[in-house]
Amino acid sequence: MEREKEKKGRKGERGWEGDVAGEERERKRDRERERESRLISFKVFSKNPRNQPPPKIKGMARSLWFLAFLLSLSVFTCKAAVFQPISDRHRSAALDLFVPVDGSFGSLEETYEALRTFQILGIDKVADINPATCPLVVETLASQSSKAKDIFHALRVNSILRCSIDTGAFEGAGSKLQSVLKDASSLLDFYYSIGSLVLIKDQSSESNVFLEDADGIFHSIKSLSQSDGRWRYSSNGAESSTYAAGIALEALSGVVSLASSGVDQSMIGIVKNDIMKLFDSLEGYDDGALFFDEKLVDASEHQGPLSTTSSVVRGVTAFAAVTSGRLNIPGDKILGMAYFFLGIGVPGNTKDLFNQIESLACLENNKISIPLILSLPATVLSLTSKDQLKVKVNTVLGLDAPPLTVELVQAFKSGSKDTHAFQGQELKFDPESSIHSLDLLSQSIDVGKYTLAFEVLLHDPEHKNIYTSGGRTLANIFVTGVVTIDGAEISVLDSDVGSVETKKKLDLSGESTVSLSANHLQKLRITFDLATPLGYAFVPHQVFLKLRHESKVEHIFVSGNSGKQFEIILDFLGLVEKFYYLSGIYDIQLTVGDAVMENSFLQDLGHVELDLPERPEKATRPPSPPVDPYSRFGPKQEISHIFRAPEKLPPKELSLCFLALTLLPFVGFLIGLIYLRVNLKNFPTSALPAAFAILFQAGIAAVLLLYVLFWLKLDLFTTLKTLGFLGTFLLFVGHRTLSYLASISAKVKSA
Amino acid sequence: MREVYGLLHHGSGFGFINSFADSFKTPSHCAARTLLSLIIIIIRHGNSKTLAKMGKTLLFRASILLFLLPFLCNSFSPENPTDRRILVLLDDLAIRSSHSIFFNSLKSRGFDLDFKLAEDPKLSLKRYGQYLYDGLILFSPSIKRFGGSLDLASVLEFVDSGHDLIIGADSSASDLIRDIATECGVDFDEASGILYDAAAVVIDHTSYAVSEAEGDHTLIASDDFIQSDVILGEKKIAAPVLFRGIGHSLNAANSLVLKVLSASPSAYSANLKTKLSSPPSLTGSAISLVSVVQARNNARVLLSGSLDLFSNRLFRSAVQKAGTSIKYEKSGNEQFVTELSKWIFHERGHLKAVNVKHHKAGETAEPAMYRINDDLEYSVEIYEWSGTSWKPYVADDVQVQFYMMSPYVLKTLSNDQKGQYYTSFRVPDVYGVFQFKVEYQRLGYTSLSLSKQIPVRPFRHNEYERFITAAYPYYGASFSSMAGFFVFTIIYLYNK
Repeated sequence: MEREKEKKGRKGERGWEGDVAGEERERKRDRERERESRLISFKVFSKNPRNQPPPKIKGMARSLWFLAFLLSLSVFTCKAAVFQPISDRHRSAALDLFVPVDGSFGSLEETYEALRTFQILGIDKVADINPATCPLVVETLASQSSKAKDIFHALRVNSILRCSIDTGAFEGAGSKLQSVLKDASSLLDFYYSIGSLVLIKDQSSESNVFLEDADGIFHSIKSLSQSDGRWRYSSNGAESSTYAAGIALEALSGVVSLASSGVDQSMIGIVKNDIMKLFDSLEGYDDGALFFDEKLVDASEHQGPLSTTSSVVRGVTAFAAVTSGRLNIPGDKILGMAYFFLGIGVPGNTKDLFNQIESLACLENNKISIPLILSLPATVLSLTSKDQLKVKVNTVLGLDAPPLTVELVQAFKSGSKDTHAFQGQELKFDPESSIHSLDLLSQSIDVGKYTLAFEVLLHDPEHKNIYTSGGRTLANIFVTGVVTIDGAEISVLDSDVGSVETKKKLDLSGESTVSLSANHLQKLRITFDLATPLGYAFVPHQVFLKLRHESKVEHIFVSGNSGKQFEIILDFLGLVEKFYYLSGIYDIQLTVGDAVMENSFLQDLGHVELDLPERPEKATRPPSPPVDPYSRFGPKQEISHIFRAPEKLPPKELSLCFLALTLLPFVGFLIGLIYLRVNLKNFPTSALPAAFAILFQAGIAAVLLLYVLFWLKLDLFTTLKTLGFLGTFLLFVGHRTLSYLASISAKVKSA
Repeated sequence: MREVYGLLHHGSGFGFINSFADSFKTPSHCAARTLLSLIIIIIRHGNSKTLAKMGKTLLFRASILLFLLPFLCNSFSPENPTDRRILVLLDDLAIRSSHSIFFNSLKSRGFDLDFKLAEDPKLSLKRYGQYLYDGLILFSPSIKRFGGSLDLASVLEFVDSGHDLIIGADSSASDLIRDIATECGVDFDEASGILYDAAAVVIDHTSYAVSEAEGDHTLIASDDFIQSDVILGEKKIAAPVLFRGIGHSLNAANSLVLKVLSASPSAYSANLKTKLSSPPSLTGSAISLVSVVQARNNARVLLSGSLDLFSNRLFRSAVQKAGTSIKYEKSGNEQFVTELSKWIFHERGHLKAVNVKHHKAGETAEPAMYRINDDLEYSVEIYEWSGTSWKPYVADDVQVQFYMMSPYVLKTLSNDQKGQYYTSFRVPDVYGVFQFKVEYQRLGYTSLSLSKQIPVRPFRHNEYERFITAAYPYYGASFSSMAGFFVFTIIYLYNK
């Protein structure tokens, strides 16, 4: 009862607040939308009805406080995703990235970056680097030709390596730098020479380095500054840049620390003002990270946001360290920059890693305000394994924070108006693991996605000026649990009456296969209940029912719900066209899943055999099933040519037999001749006609022989040619023979 | 080749020199390039005597360089198919650092990466008709319009001319990136953003990567890879691949695009912040997470719906797939991406066929024509590019076709394990103009398409069989009647 009352009261507060703050909030929301705000939880406030009972006075005061808080909050930290401080991942990345070759990292600048990164991360590598690098440092310092830049890098390396360098070398370098400083005009000249002098002062106990004309140098550096807080590299026409501002501030802080007799305080005040202006140009991401970006894009020494921000951080922290009095930069901005560096994660190249780590180290010990990072080791908490809500508060480099209490101020469940949930809880601190924790189970929390608002309360009031935790930090957590599934049923209904034809229970937790059959006049209904561990209705993001035909045509249906019960009704009459009139077996598959549901599942329920009407001519054809990519590429079946079969011939014996038969008439002819007693008495007796007769017969024999030869080997042309000669010859001898024979027979007749 | 091209193209001496300067594209020849460009400036503007004098000496040095030129160029060529120069377009230079493992692995394999912002106004892929790069990596999902002369058409032309492309998209993918993907046969899920502030992403509530820090199940652990050693390497990828981004579907009409990494059956593509009232357009294993295209000109394209897939964070991240108890120290991303990029940039799966020979059985010379029913022998050598050299390709499924309108003979070639493939068969008894065809298309390999035309003639008149026994009765009949005729003439003329 008590609890309920309080809840009501709070609701009232918000309702009242909605009245007062309407206009202001509208404006704010517009601004938010422009920046694509991801803050959902505030919608809760604006949606409250106005006709709530008037709140009590105490409630009013509290709500005003809330409003003021929200206003200040919405500008910066309300969108904080949870950033993790520097961890072992950075250490292993540093070891992966900075790999010395023969005990050296290349140039002195790279060596410094590597050594400084290792130093901050607490990795001891100095002994490995010393032997190869120290001679280089000594040589650079002693050499007459080395420039201020080289000396600067050499001294920086030496600040970590602590090589043995005699005082003379320091003094030599010091006087050289002093002379450089005298006729320096560009910002980088100032930066390198002053930086080197500061380093000499730190490293050499005996040398007594100081600037005589500190005010003059201060003025000449200051003269390069612009009205918007940025700096130019040199006085002649160079464009102003934010990166240069960082360098300039670092140089100025060097001047202050080297000044023999303090620097004009009014000048320092002006520079402080410049810094404030510079911070007006901060840009931000949605998650609260803030950074500086260089405006000029095509300058040759263009710097990315990381190196620009890092330069400014170095400059500002160095300046704050040497000047007395506070720099009035809001802690939120410092925290935003810390978020920016942490939000990068683990950079993949050496320069970025160095910039990130070194800037964080600067923020870790700055005099303005030291950011404290609130992080959640786990944002997915399981009710089943009774996870506790754990919160860590560290400095950016992952060191323990000063004594403090973490309070859970607000908790909103996203996607519902119900802001029930634990509020105003103080987290328990475990000094051993330095983790603040809260037992979720005791809070009777249900599954869901929550937005939690934490607040860090420092125990020591002094610390409030030193540290900044950005007021309220928001974090999204997922509370997961097992959703109970009950009363799963599948049934086929008669369409017109709604009477149940067949009804089967389903076991959604295990194997269950049903086989149903239906026609186009019936309906298929699937119902089941989902409830959260606390017994409330649960609506998962994904409730799909999939029907898959044998021909791989798929249909997906989304389920609607009323309270706990989910119901999917498929009226086949209306779906006939969608189903392409394909009758046959459809496999049923149910998928239920949600981010906070630990027992999300995809299950085959069985199949339904549909009897749909014939496909009309004009209906759309089902899409062709996808081609299996593997089948496209296999080898093809071999093809061999089928040759024409040779003609069937009679056996050889038969042919020879018939050959003999064809020769028989000739033999008969010869026998007939003998039987007729033929003679050759008419053959010419005189010599000349006999010779012609013999030649004539030989000619005929030759022609016949030519035919035989033609058959055996000769071609047509040779044969015809020879035949031509033989023919002429035959004509001649034939004519003589025949005319002789004719004259003889004429004589006989006349006689 | 290039010299000739330069002359033709520009038709002037300047053009000639320009085209030479142009051919120094690899940074290793930076000095030479500077020298040449200096000469060009001098020749163009050098009217004053001193400049001309300076120019002369430089020209002399340059002429020596010009002779060395063919030896210095090591860019893309059919003989050396691995890409060399790659343009990487980013929409934020921080990607260079956050994805450095991937880029470093490319650099260590000998690629020259040229990082540029996608809106860089000086962007161009080619100059004087020559491409400056062999490959393009688009890691700029949100870019709405490229800077310089680069646009959709020029990216497509780049691919059409046989160059390779990698596209990494994410839920902020712009229409330009979607259009390029669509042209490649891949449709990124469009169920996005005008109404909502975030696009649809792939969500999977049963095979997500278990993580204490992320609970919305959009970081998917997928191990449904394509079954191809040539695309993903011979070593099996044991750990699941982490994916966070948008899904895409393959164009069913496009037979060149392949799904390399698919989502599980329970995945769906939807907007996390909205309640689903209608079924999402992409569900189940139809969602492709990573796809590749191998065009007909062997250009290869990789399309990933996740840019994070290539990031150091997911490379180094430990992975445990939901529902399983195995926790892998490292995700499969690094192996997956490295192997896939080897394939994309033609370090693997690139075949060449040389020495196509055919001749009659028992002979060695190639005839101009075959006669029907001849026995012939066919051989071809096939090599695979290993990234550094050509290695013999060994497979037992290379087939040759003897083809006229349709294959008359299709035979699998046997090989000697040293890249030589051979077979023998008899020419069919059909005459006409045939082709020896080798159409070799295997998953992941570049396609080989060889064809060689050869006519086949019928028998000549004297090539038919003579003295057929079955005809002996006819021969007998005619010769006996000839003999009869001879005897008859004698009897008829001289009988009394």
